[in-house]
Amino acid sequence: METLFGITGKDFVIAAYDTKAVASITMMKIGEDKSRNLNDHSVMLYSGEPGDGVHFAEYIERNVKLNGIRHGLEMSPKAVASFARRELADSLRSRKPYSVNLLIAGYDVKKDTPALYWMDHLASSAEVPFAAHGYGAYYCLSMMDRYHRPDITEEEGIKLLKMCINELRTRMILNMPDFVAKVVTKEGIRVVQL
Amino acid sequence: MEYNGGAVVAMVGKNCVAIACDKRLGVQAMTISTEFKKIFQATPKTYLGLPGLATDVQTLAEKFRFKINMYKLKEEREIEPRTLAHLVSSTLYERRFGPWFTEPVVAGLDKNNNPFICNTDTIGCINFAKDFVVSGTSTNQLYGMCESLWEPDLEPEDLFETISQALMNAVDRDCLAGWGAEVVVITPDKIITRTLKSRMD
Amino acid sequence: MMSTVPSELPVTAPIEHRFDPYVDNGGTLLSIAGKDFCVVAADTRLSEGYSIHTRYVPKSVKLSDKTVISMGGCYADCLTLTKRIQQNMEASLVAPMWYRHAHGKTMSTAAIAQMLSIMLYQKRFFPFYSWCILGGLDEEGRGAVYTYDPVGSYEREACRCAGSASSLIQPFLDNQINFKNQASERRELSLDQVLRITKDSFTSATERDIYTGDYLEIFVITSNGVELQKMGLKKD
Repeated sequence: METLFGITGKDFVIAAYDTKAVASITMMKIGEDKSRNLNDHSVMLYSGEPGDGVHFAEYIERNVKLNGIRHGLEMSPKAVASFARRELADSLRSRKPYSVNLLIAGYDVKKDTPALYWMDHLASSAEVPFAAHGYGAYYCLSMMDRYHRPDITEEEGIKLLKMCINELRTRMILNMPDFVAKVVTKEGIRVVQL
Repeated sequence: MEYNGGAVVAMVGKNCVAIACDKRLGVQAMTISTEFKKIFQATPKTYLGLPGLATDVQTLAEKFRFKINMYKLKEEREIEPRTLAHLVSSTLYERRFGPWFTEPVVAGLDKNNNPFICNTDTIGCINFAKDFVVSGTSTNQLYGMCESLWEPDLEPEDLFETISQALMNAVDRDCLAGWGAEVVVITPDKIITRTLKSRMD
Repeated sequence: MMSTVPSELPVTAPIEHRFDPYVDNGGTLLSIAGKDFCVVAADTRLSEGYSIHTRYVPKSVKLSDKTVISMGGCYADCLTLTKRIQQNMEASLVAPMWYRHAHGKTMSTAAIAQMLSIMLYQKRFFPFYSWCILGGLDEEGRGAVYTYDPVGSYEREACRCAGSASSLIQPFLDNQINFKNQASERRELSLDQVLRITKDSFTSATERDIYTGDYLEIFVITSNGVELQKMGLKKD
């Protein structure tokens, strides 16, 4: 089962995903990238129907990039999330909807604040201080409820994510391979191996 | 309605109306957000409440914002609450056989500052009420509370207390709603918006 | 070897037997405990689906000078259960459970409460479809309310509403009896206040619940015994 996490802090957002690619009961691959950088300060994590995630994320990525080129302005995380939500909502009532869950993590350079958006496959979207998708959410949201503070530092954030992953490794029936985290700050997007 | 949870209530007072909602967004039993508002300002004196399936709440909020702005541009005046109610109704009935899963509430003061409230079902059948309307997952509880707490000609502050007590005690008996609330009281000269703290379980 | 069905035997399909012995007869009941009194109230409508069988049938029964039981759900089950409780409380020459005869005294409210739980649980796998509320005075003379689910799990509370309009009335009781979401201190309520809240609850519920209405029976239990008040409710 795929798991996505996100935590906001004082001046950053961390978004993490497990690197499993699963088809039914078979693990097809470890080392799958389940994220796309939409621009310099926004990253999208996706899970759900295997093909849909990549296709949808890249479609959003390209349109966000195109928008950036056309207007010479970077879309804010809020703008990116609104755009992605609308595309997903329109697809929901089409003949073949995308079946993807998303986390959009970004840093709003203008407002100087981090932003994290949770979105499910029905295109319900909410800005949240922390979020999780998949069965992992049932274990980890309570952990985040307990240990998250709005003024958390990046080290504390990583520590909290590691606690969450540890919990999954002890409690989930499936084995949990490596997680990859993307940290978004004012400076841009960094990759952290967990 | 039961997938994401949530409740909206509106009441009439003396030359004023109030509308209130809870702030929970959940996926069945799991709470995702406690800052998910379900009421939206339509005009300076009209609010629209949209409880129901969260994705449709957001889509319709955007859709109605567009339609209300277009109305304003074409007519060069604000839309009346009664007109908005019919706009809501026809927008929902357009999807008669594949509905938006939301039961909207309209509350506002018309151009003569007369109170107006109504709600509709998922396909736009309007219920005009003189006292109060309820909508969402806590309808039973809200009906019980409103039926016993509400009385005619409440002043704005009393109306605020009444609607707040009605909503909070109702959602405390509903697992799918609660986690904070927002109340808006609309009077001829001002709009009072208050955020309520409530039980977080 | 494959086995085959002899062709001369008629092919019979399995016959389905449906057994559905329950109906929901609606109705609402409520009980509130006070300092030295207890109020048990219930409407008197008996309905099934969209039709009303009768407008006046009591849902509450006085069990002793200190105890009243009220039940809603399937009326047939409620009648049987009430009879069984009364039987177990009464005198006789045979059954050991028959309390008054065995112990030479009337059962206390707490004892009835415990017994009712056992009686309900004894039918755990073919339960009585009944929502019970037991109201009365305890051994110290304080008001006591015991509430049950159909299989006998029970609890003593300050107030409770059960039956078809419970979802409408219970939040109101939380607010007015237990002072939920109110900044003011919790106060003891007088009998008059409790009676007013009870009547308000039922008039409100009657407005919106089609299974509640016609008449309201209120049993007031004090150290002087049980007094019955009646009140009209809307009949539509």
